[in-house]
Amino acid sequence: MLPPFELLEPHSLDQALKMLATSESVPLAGGTNLLPDLRARGEAGGRFISLAALDQLHGIEHSDSRVLMGARTTLSDILHDPLMPTAAPSLVSMAKVFAGSMVRNAATVAGNICYGSPSADVVPPLLSLDAELTLASAAGERTLSLNDFLLDYKKTARRPDELLISVSWAPPTTGTANLFYKLGRRRGDAITVVGVAVTITIEKGNCTKARIALGSVAPTVFRAQEAEEALVGGPLTATTIGTAAQAAAQASRPIDDIRASADYRRHAVHMLVRRLLTEAWQTAGSQHD
Amino acid sequence: MNRIESPAASTANLQLRQVGKPLVRTDSPTKVYGTAVYAGDLTMPGMLCAAVLHSDRASALLRHVDTSRAEALAGVHCVLTAADLPPSQGVMTDMPGQTGGLTKNTKQPILAKDRVRFCGEPIALVAAENAAIAEQALRLIDIEYEDLDGIYDPFDALAPGAPIIFGDDNVVASYKVRKGDIEKGFAEADFIVENTFTTQYQEQAFLEPEAALAWVDEHEVLNIRSSTQVVEHYRAVADAIGLPHNRVRLRAEFVGGGFGGKEVMTIEVWLALLALASRRPVQLVQPRERSFLSHGPRHPFTMTHRTGVSGDGKITALQIKLTSDAGAYAKLSPYILLYATVGATGPYRVDNLHIDSVSAATNNLPACAFRGFGTMQANLACEGQMEEIAKLLGMDSMEVRRRNFIHTGDANVTGQIIRSAVWSDQCATQALATLGERPTDTQTTRIGHGVACYQQSYGRIRWMKDSSEAWVGVEMDGTVIVRSAVTDIGAGQSSALAQITGEILGVPMDQVVVYFGDGAVTPLAGTSTASRALYMSGNATKMAASQVRKNLLSCVAGYFGVKIEQLDMCDSQVFIIDDPQRSIALKDCVKLCAAEGVHRHNLAIFRAPTSEGIDPETGQGEVFPDFTYGAHAAQVAVDIETGEVKVLKSIGAHDVGQAINLRAVEGQVEGSALMGQGFALCEELILKQGRLQTGSLSEYLIPTSEDVPEIKAIVLESRSGLGPFGAKGIGEPVYAPVAASIANAVADAIGVHIFELPITPEKVIKALREKESTK
Ligand SMILES: Cc1cc2nc3c(=O)[nH]c(=O)nc-3n(C[C@H](O)[C@H](O)[C@H](O)COP(=O)(O)OP(=O)(O)OC[C@H]3O[C@@H](n4cnc5c(N)ncnc54)[C@H](O)[C@@H]3O)c2cc1C
Repeated sequence: MLPPFELLEPHSLDQALKMLATSESVPLAGGTNLLPDLRARGEAGGRFISLAALDQLHGIEHSDSRVLMGARTTLSDILHDPLMPTAAPSLVSMAKVFAGSMVRNAATVAGNICYGSPSADVVPPLLSLDAELTLASAAGERTLSLNDFLLDYKKTARRPDELLISVSWAPPTTGTANLFYKLGRRRGDAITVVGVAVTITIEKGNCTKARIALGSVAPTVFRAQEAEEALVGGPLTATTIGTAAQAAAQASRPIDDIRASADYRRHAVHMLVRRLLTEAWQTAGSQHD
Repeated sequence: MNRIESPAASTANLQLRQVGKPLVRTDSPTKVYGTAVYAGDLTMPGMLCAAVLHSDRASALLRHVDTSRAEALAGVHCVLTAADLPPSQGVMTDMPGQTGGLTKNTKQPILAKDRVRFCGEPIALVAAENAAIAEQALRLIDIEYEDLDGIYDPFDALAPGAPIIFGDDNVVASYKVRKGDIEKGFAEADFIVENTFTTQYQEQAFLEPEAALAWVDEHEVLNIRSSTQVVEHYRAVADAIGLPHNRVRLRAEFVGGGFGGKEVMTIEVWLALLALASRRPVQLVQPRERSFLSHGPRHPFTMTHRTGVSGDGKITALQIKLTSDAGAYAKLSPYILLYATVGATGPYRVDNLHIDSVSAATNNLPACAFRGFGTMQANLACEGQMEEIAKLLGMDSMEVRRRNFIHTGDANVTGQIIRSAVWSDQCATQALATLGERPTDTQTTRIGHGVACYQQSYGRIRWMKDSSEAWVGVEMDGTVIVRSAVTDIGAGQSSALAQITGEILGVPMDQVVVYFGDGAVTPLAGTSTASRALYMSGNATKMAASQVRKNLLSCVAGYFGVKIEQLDMCDSQVFIIDDPQRSIALKDCVKLCAAEGVHRHNLAIFRAPTSEGIDPETGQGEVFPDFTYGAHAAQVAVDIETGEVKVLKSIGAHDVGQAINLRAVEGQVEGSALMGQGFALCEELILKQGRLQTGSLSEYLIPTSEDVPEIKAIVLESRSGLGPFGAKGIGEPVYAPVAASIANAVADAIGVHIFELPITPEKVIKALREKESTK
């Protein structure tokens, strides 16, 4: 049974930020994390601030150099946005396998990021795209990288008085491949066992930029930077890809749980990083050659 | 083809006008529009909400249960513990229903007293003004436990010196089958194949958890409206609390899924006690996490087959050991073990056979009935073994099956002669053919095809002496009423009775209203379990309708001056077959009957074949009325790097005897395809020292709509069954081969069999690694 809770419904961002600053309260977006948690706790919940009416948090804007996505964008919005397949291919692949259609209609990007779960599926694609977050509070706005935002298991850099208002990134350039794979125990509504996103830029036959973001294999989603470094500077070969995949597996700090063992997760990281890098090399390479 | 014309099919003077057609079920509109009423939708003035406190220890003494703080909470009407209960021996959890036969005594305490034996055992009940207060009251109940050693593995439970949970030796039940000469059979074998298969706990995971409403009415009758498969539980409720049977009325609402989980009584007796204590209507809808603890999941089985085969693939001897984990209480475990024992050789004839089966008590969740009832686990081992035998012999596994299939006229495991059609071969061949071409393997995926056959009983164990009653009557305007206490658990149980009655009386199905599921005012029909509802209540209804038809036609025959055999009924008209212009409207015919004082209604009873049991030393005797045969085939893609298995195609082909509603049959096949896929690949209740680790639907993984493969149902009709029009039971049978077909498909894809369900990605990787290292 869902215990009772108080719901504040601000009409503007300013009003919302004021409420957040002055009352002990929590932002409520789609509620697909908050409400199950509240139900599991079983105790009368605190105060929620609904973000439904805040226009500034809705909508996706595309320009040549930047994609700006409102924090209240839902997973379904991502799927319905006609430009997203080029602006963030990995995000679209991810949205297709995120939860099921009911939850996709409610779940938001901000909720996924701010909940800080290691299995948050929105995060690896965005991390692989070097996304930045804009947070607002009554005191003003700040922008920081998603990488810096993620601190530890369910711990982020968000202060309690802050709202995430938007996420932005540079759309992939030509010669860039951006891929995502979710390994789950079933296809719908699965908590990710291993999530992998890679972004690879190939210029003149050499890899100039590599991003490998891993979900569900450490206390937080993280970038396997050693693996990334192993790729930059030359062409991707079976050897460099193998080294990077190995490094990514080694950088993982998974746990044993009911879904899978740590050993298996490490194995899957190895396999999936190798697979996605191989595919990325082929697609990104072919865009130039 | 060994087609048998059943008496039902050959003597019927009816062409089937409705039966077998995919007509709209009578319950469909109400479910599509959301107007169907379920027990949790009910409400009454002054209704209280109940909540149940379940033990969070698996094995402990209950030192002290203090409810005073809960009782003091404003809005709480009553709190009950074992100390407040009537001095009965608990509640019967044995075979319920219309059984005149002997059952085993498997009483279980209604609430734990002095000791808890499994994590989740109910300890206290609360009724309060609303659900929030009831929940709060649960948190105010103070319990002092003293932990005891527990046993969490059936083999530990059977080891000498194990702490005793049940009886003298933790043996809940055991069976022996001794047939032919096993030594001679093994001596004749060219090869001996031995494998051990294991299966996991599976949760019914019905959409609708346990729900019921109880109150005492103005006649001092205790009423319960519940989500149950069995209205006859009114007797068990009455016995448990010391009321006469005629003072308890149990009504079954539409059930949002049963699958066996609502066969043994769940929450009804708790609500009865609360309603009596509070003198108010009391409702309970179990929250999902407690629903996991409120019925019994499917038994985990360990199954060893040692098979002697000749070089041409014929089984010469078979030795089988089955061990199931019963959990902390017996419930239906003895019967489930019997089903597994009878089903242990699948649809194959084995003349030299030893089976030893045992069900052991542990401090795990008590397991109970679940679609297939032990047969499907046993069948899984049998069908996996067929593949292993074929692999060893280098033969096609279908060919091995063909050399061993049981045929009509053969004796099964217990020496019972199979009298109905056995179309295993046709079904398997068609299912496999329908899989079509294999997509080509890629660098990282392997495609596999798998098939499995089965033999699954329908109808109750014969010594239960099962029967079912039904009443059919025609109103003065020519509309029809059926009364049957059958429970409608979503498979179209009540609709089928309308379709059968419509067929017999020549009225459109939507002119028939079926009153069902009322233990006091509709004739008792027995349970919707054991794939018996259509078989039993369908026959009873057909008998009653046929008698009404006879009465009506005899009046019309007099009116037209013809013989009854010259008349037929259709579209609410009675007409002369050879001269259809001469007809009379059904409503006028009814008036004729009424004027002549002829009965326009009939109450019929259908009785299943009975026997007196099996020989305890040899296991020989007649156990079931009859069996259904068929097959399932699956096409899977296995990712050999991650171990993920994707089911691409899932094809069920079954001889259903006679479909009553084709759409309903297809629905059963489709549902079973997914339920079996879940069992094969992702569903597993994981217990750690008896404590459930997967007690939510985000951890207990049933397939979702995104996991649905291409599913196809192939329906064959031998008309050789014991049901109406030659129908066989299909609810459980269609499920029996699914998981095995997927396991076999995975083995086909990766070249190595995984003997332990569920086949997780992790187990696939492990199997592939082991295969590599033994190369
Ligand atoms: C059935 C089911 C399936 C699921 N499947 C998946 C899946 O496949 N992959 C996956 O990653 N997750 C999944 N989830 C989890 C959940 O849906 C996602 O994490 C979702 O993105 C959360 O978004 P929300 O809008 O519902 O967040 P909410 O529950 O509303 O909020 C989550 C957290 O974020 C905070 N928050 C929300 N918006 C803001 C904001 N603008 N600024 C600051 N803080 C904010 C809230 O205070 C809260 O702490 C699933 C959940 C369910 C119930």
